[in-house]
Amino acid sequence: MKKIYIFCIFYGISLISKAQVAEKFGQGNIGSITVTASTNASKGINTLLRDGYLPNLNSASRFLSQATLGANMSQIQQVADQGIEKWLDDQLNMPNTFSTESFIRTLHQRIVDSLNLTGPVEPYTIYNVNLSDWHFDIAWFQGSMTAPDLLRWRVALALSEIFVTSRISGFGNNPYAMSDYYDILLKNAFGNYRSMLDSITYSPAMAVYLTYMNNHATATVNGNLVFPDENYAREIMQLFSIGLYKLNIDGTEQKDGQGNSIPTYNNNDIAGLAKVFTGLSWHDAEYLGDRENHEQDYTKRLKFFPLDSSDAKIRWWKTNPTITNGHEPGGKTFLGTTIGQGRTVQQGEADIQDALNVIFNHQNVGPFIARRLIQRLVSSNPSPAFISRVASKFNNNGSGVRGDLKAVIKAILLDPEARQCHGPEETSTGMLREPFVRYTNLVKGLNLVSTNGTYRNVMNEIYDNAEQRPLNSPTVFNFFQPDYIPDGDLKNAGKFGPEFQLLNSQTLTGYFNALNEWLINNDPIDYYGYFGNETYKEAEEPRFDLTADFPICSNKNLPQLLDKYNLILAHGSLSQQSLNNIKYAIENMPYRIDNMGVPNQDDMLRRIRIAIFLIMASPDYLINR
Amino acid sequence: MNRRNFLKTAGCGAMSSATMLNTIVNLGAIKGALANTHFADTQTEDYKALVCVVLSGGIDSYNLLIPRGTTVGGDNGYNDYMAMRTDLGINNVNNLLALNNPQLVGIRGKSSAYSSFGLHPMMSGMQTLFNSGKLAMMANIGTLVEPIIDANDFENGNKKIPQGIYSHSDQLMQWQTSVPQSRDAVGFGGRLADLLHATNTNQQISMNISLDGKNLFQRGNDLAEYSIRNDINANNVGIEALPSWWSSSGYMTELRNNAVDSLVSQTYANLLQKTYSATAKTSIASFEIFKEALKKVPSFTTPFPTTRLADDLKAVAKVMSVRNDLGAKRQIFLVNIGGWDMHDNLLNGLNSLLPQVSQALKAFYDLTVELGISDKVTTFTISDFARTITSNGQGSDHAWGGNMMVMGGAVNGGKIYGAFPKMDIFNNPQNVSFRGNFIPSVSTDELYAELALWYGVSPSDLCYALPNLGNFYSYSAGNYPLGLMNMSGGVSNVDRPQNCLIY
Repeated sequence: MKKIYIFCIFYGISLISKAQVAEKFGQGNIGSITVTASTNASKGINTLLRDGYLPNLNSASRFLSQATLGANMSQIQQVADQGIEKWLDDQLNMPNTFSTESFIRTLHQRIVDSLNLTGPVEPYTIYNVNLSDWHFDIAWFQGSMTAPDLLRWRVALALSEIFVTSRISGFGNNPYAMSDYYDILLKNAFGNYRSMLDSITYSPAMAVYLTYMNNHATATVNGNLVFPDENYAREIMQLFSIGLYKLNIDGTEQKDGQGNSIPTYNNNDIAGLAKVFTGLSWHDAEYLGDRENHEQDYTKRLKFFPLDSSDAKIRWWKTNPTITNGHEPGGKTFLGTTIGQGRTVQQGEADIQDALNVIFNHQNVGPFIARRLIQRLVSSNPSPAFISRVASKFNNNGSGVRGDLKAVIKAILLDPEARQCHGPEETSTGMLREPFVRYTNLVKGLNLVSTNGTYRNVMNEIYDNAEQRPLNSPTVFNFFQPDYIPDGDLKNAGKFGPEFQLLNSQTLTGYFNALNEWLINNDPIDYYGYFGNETYKEAEEPRFDLTADFPICSNKNLPQLLDKYNLILAHGSLSQQSLNNIKYAIENMPYRIDNMGVPNQDDMLRRIRIAIFLIMASPDYLINR
Repeated sequence: MNRRNFLKTAGCGAMSSATMLNTIVNLGAIKGALANTHFADTQTEDYKALVCVVLSGGIDSYNLLIPRGTTVGGDNGYNDYMAMRTDLGINNVNNLLALNNPQLVGIRGKSSAYSSFGLHPMMSGMQTLFNSGKLAMMANIGTLVEPIIDANDFENGNKKIPQGIYSHSDQLMQWQTSVPQSRDAVGFGGRLADLLHATNTNQQISMNISLDGKNLFQRGNDLAEYSIRNDINANNVGIEALPSWWSSSGYMTELRNNAVDSLVSQTYANLLQKTYSATAKTSIASFEIFKEALKKVPSFTTPFPTTRLADDLKAVAKVMSVRNDLGAKRQIFLVNIGGWDMHDNLLNGLNSLLPQVSQALKAFYDLTVELGISDKVTTFTISDFARTITSNGQGSDHAWGGNMMVMGGAVNGGKIYGAFPKMDIFNNPQNVSFRGNFIPSVSTDELYAELALWYGVSPSDLCYALPNLGNFYSYSAGNYPLGLMNMSGGVSNVDRPQNCLIY
């Protein structure tokens, strides 16, 4: 069988032998690639163009560091064996396999059943037993550890940092709100951006987060005007779709005659669009302004109320109740368009779809979303050409469809700029791995496994120490912002580093100390009991099993240990100098051998743990490039 | 030799200032030389600190400072207020906490529309301080590049308008930078540190200390903030040791920590790696000094509430209490309390958050009295923006100029500075939106210039600290931007080698 390898060149180690011929292929301009074939190289390239190329293990690991939350050795091997494109296509064709909401619902019922078995005074039901936000964290971790659609889970996390809602909000500790929203992201990760905008707009979690739940048409209250809430109108444009300034297809800002950036909208546009998002309430609301009945109200799409009949419903005895508009009647002007003219208020729900279409078709959306997704998955400073290639796929997936996220994701991950290995001379490539993803890298890379397939992890350690966890952003502006420029060398070069916004003297040590807890204390899971007197389920709180590494932690075999985790966690990107620094520390750690010639187990485990700790503390790992 | 010259003479053109700082740290040059000045006389001690309290999310500050007049045909401020605020108003004038004969200090020819004012009913701590002259209110302050006279001036396109007006991210950024025409400026606190860091005897501890992680306010062109947590103590600073039950745990901890140090000390070509390493090195270097200093924090007797904001301010006081061990003569702190973006449920929201602010700030002021430094510490609030005075139904939306607080023994308190706008959206040239958004009467520059001069920035360095200040104010002896601070010590005449900034 023919084997084609792509070699990445790291720090002066040349893998191209003189006998081989280097050829360029694929989307062009990929350097440092060698094609070896048992017959001749041109046949090799044909194979490659037809079936996709086969990466070496480091390249496979590097790809998975962008396309997943972390990968273990066998997953890396799988990509190396079948090739990146095959793996990618398989992943993109996988159905959405895990619903956080179903998980929570099942768990909820189980907790209720268990409580009833313990002899209740009055029967427990899912309506009188409330869950908390950490049940969502357990659901999230369960899905991330067990769902085979690894790419979907990586992309959904990225989307959750662009289309932000957070438990730091009006829905607070309600896991149904969080799971319904997260399921929208999981579902739409491989869907169309336009459908996602629709689902988000009709999501109770978003409606509460950005305060358009029960948003009301302009009305007169006690003789004074009360206006529609502008919160969602502003943020859907600023953060979810078009941003503040008109963009070129390559993400650069357009300029007017004086060289100034051109705003995409002003406050009048906001006020105009705010009128669109009026008349939405809970699915089981009896009138606009009605309250939530129970925490599961968050799992159903919002309902549209053209009229506000609250007076009639609340004061049912009134013979002549006041009925006012719930949805704003008349035309709504924003982004240079007027929609809704000539509609009755009863027809007003069509305004919402019209408005989402106007936003969806704005020229900014492609480059805006392209840059954000590239930043989440691949690099903080994509070139304008990279953004342009991805934005073009957003605008047209090749079959005339706009907003196809599958095509966008594929374009990002297969782009030469994403796939190209970066030599040390390229100074602003890559991204700081976000703290939460470092954690998932660890548990996945070290193959944390529950013997019964169930995990119970509230993920407190990462949040307490590094201030990050899904749906836990402090504000709608995410944990960090796309245009954040950290001090020092990046600033001097005018380059972005979004994740650096989370890095300070406190979170820096917080990460080290969390590593201590996960790795040194071998306590990677934060386990909570579901109810009082519940039996402890040890299987649901698995720990790392590193005994397989015992044979490779002696001084003599240390390079094997370091190579192994350098490959799994850092796709071989640790420089020889970094490896030497780590090796020096480990070599000087005790390695006692008893009089039977058996090495001390504690010594071996400690060496392995500190070695992994140091790999994950090295800038070569932390900057994924 | 000041720091800038030191950097010059050190002659490593390629090194960033952060790297240079670490070199100083590694030399251990200063650590041993620190004098223990615990018993220094606080009366004559040259120490000044600014504490920036961020009310992030945009506080509805027209429910913080509220007109109280009910004289029809005269000062009828409260009735004007209720007519505009409808369901958002404090619906009983008697519940407002009266400010005793507040002196109204106008600005650039503008004065307040009313004369009688009160505070939100939950702000009794602040009422006490105002009425005892330790707290001042800033009326209708906000982001401005240059003075904007009225709505016509705002709309005719001749004046520079702050970028991203009404947007959270932009407006909170501009409150921190005071450069509303740019998204590239660093923070006011950071620029103060750029100017005055050499004042501190220990150069390895940042002048800017944050209880809110990274923030723009404390970020300078040369120097950044140091971040601490509010439960900071000598035992939880830095990287945790390996488990004590490990054999030779201390030795192995050292091996590991040295390896971490080596990894971040390597030379990297990639800018992200360089940036990470520089942050890591600076942080790691500061841990030991903090650890030692924090062992000397005295016990406090001032009672403190148990809110997050109070915990943050207590941590600020702890650091202040060991200022001499940290070699600090000038310090800037930042704390943040969020949750003000009340598009809904505004009345309950304010009833829940405002008492936290009032109680924590009052306790903090009392603690500075206990420490003998109340006239050396000035605390001020900032927020994204004020909110529309009209309602969206139990909530309000993003607006512009609003009302802020400045607290401390050196503040000329009991006064309201600026021009409180007429509570009217129809007949009011200060209003620029049908929702009730006011052109600020006082710019952030004018507040900050007052604070900068008090803090020790010389008049000629104001153009570095506040690039737009010349649009509002120019210094002459005895003439201050607002008259807010007690400048009896005079202003500094030491010019720092920084060029004026232009945006």
